[in-house]
Amino acid sequence: MAGRKLALKAIDWAAFGEIIPKNQKAIANALKSHNEYLTNRLTALPEKPQVINWAYYKQNIAKPGLVDEFEKKYNELKIPVPEDKYTALVDAEEQEDAKFGAELVKASNARIAELQKDMDKIKNIIPFEQMTVEDLNQAFPHTRLDKKNYPYWPHQPIENL
Amino acid sequence: MLSRLALHAAGALAPALKNAAPLAPGVLQASRIFHTASPHLAPLPPLPEHGGKIRHGLIPEEFFGFMYPKTGVTGPYVLGTGLILYLLSKEIYVITADTVAAMTTLGLFIYVVKKYGPSIASFADKLREDQLGQAEGLKQASLKGISDAIELEKKQQALVAKRHYLFDVQRNNIAMTLEVFYRERLHKVYTEVKNRLDYHIAKQNMMRRKEQEHMISWVENHVMKSISAQEEKETITKCIADLKVLAKKAQAQSHFLGVERGHFLSLDPTCPCWRDTRLSQRTRVKRESTSIMFIRFPVGALQLILKLCLLFTLS
Repeated sequence: MAGRKLALKAIDWAAFGEIIPKNQKAIANALKSHNEYLTNRLTALPEKPQVINWAYYKQNIAKPGLVDEFEKKYNELKIPVPEDKYTALVDAEEQEDAKFGAELVKASNARIAELQKDMDKIKNIIPFEQMTVEDLNQAFPHTRLDKKNYPYWPHQPIENL
Repeated sequence: MLSRLALHAAGALAPALKNAAPLAPGVLQASRIFHTASPHLAPLPPLPEHGGKIRHGLIPEEFFGFMYPKTGVTGPYVLGTGLILYLLSKEIYVITADTVAAMTTLGLFIYVVKKYGPSIASFADKLREDQLGQAEGLKQASLKGISDAIELEKKQQALVAKRHYLFDVQRNNIAMTLEVFYRERLHKVYTEVKNRLDYHIAKQNMMRRKEQEHMISWVENHVMKSISAQEEKETITKCIADLKVLAKKAQAQSHFLGVERGHFLSLDPTCPCWRDTRLSQRTRVKRESTSIMFIRFPVGALQLILKLCLLFTLS
């Protein structure tokens, strides 16, 4: 008849708010408010119910076997702890999400590596004072003038000047 | 390159290199001597800061150095003077009107370059600096862009680490819901059983009360029936006699009460109100009320006594 120990994890609500994308803010708020509602209900209900004063009833009820029978049956009655079918679903979702997260991290790391390469390339160019025009075109390909399509100076459409 | 030409011009035509144009920006090696660098290096080695040394704007210093061991310091000058005299005297160089024109032009030219050379050189340097600054700015901007992108990626990764909170909230909710249900059931059992037990007790009490009342009324009826007519008459006459006595007492009491409350004052010294001045008013009132009850409801009094007795014995 006694309540079990509840294993509730501490939640960092700031982090919870951070990870929710903008279009799901309403659902997240609903979840949070439901959590608060449940917490309030839980604190309102005490863990163990009040104890029945069997001695008083034994004294006052005339019928002899009634109270004893009630007491026996009451103490025998065990309310089953409601079984938990849903945590498994949440766990499964979390596994999938963890996979997804791992993929994201991998892609992100690949991007970081490429970006790092670009950064190193740019850092290692020769100083501008020692560059020729060819060196400049090598380091920054977009500076190369297109002498094939625009054979005459300024080798680019007039608007770009 | 334009920059190289600008440097060369500034170096060549500003003979006093000691107060030449300010240093071009950037790190340039001053150790390299002009015209001796290998042409095969890539990237190109940096340009020398100053051109080769020149004397009188025309003759490189190496010439003087070349002649120094043999002829000393004045050697090249003597050579120059001798050459000029030779050319003039032998009329290899003829002095014409063009000579004067050439000399004035040269003089003017040298004067202008000497006066305005440095400022033009610095202007050219500034142009170059601006170009370099622009290029450098572009480079820094692209570096910053890349580093910002990297920061963003890292932040996203940090967020991924926090995803588990969503599922924690859900699991907590589930656990709490189940617990709430469980506790509510416990409480429900308790309240139901208590209700049943209380019902039994309430039922017993009610039966008890009903039995009591029934018994009392039964006893009363029998008592009433048992009182014969003769007894009733005797009782009534006695009651009337008592009534008369008590009425007199009551009159005296009310008279005294009136005095106490200030309604009137008795001047008769034999009035009994003077006698009982020490007794409290309260006892008087109590006695009076009980007496009124006994006068007016003799049968009711009997009933009351009977009820009390029965209750006392039955409880």
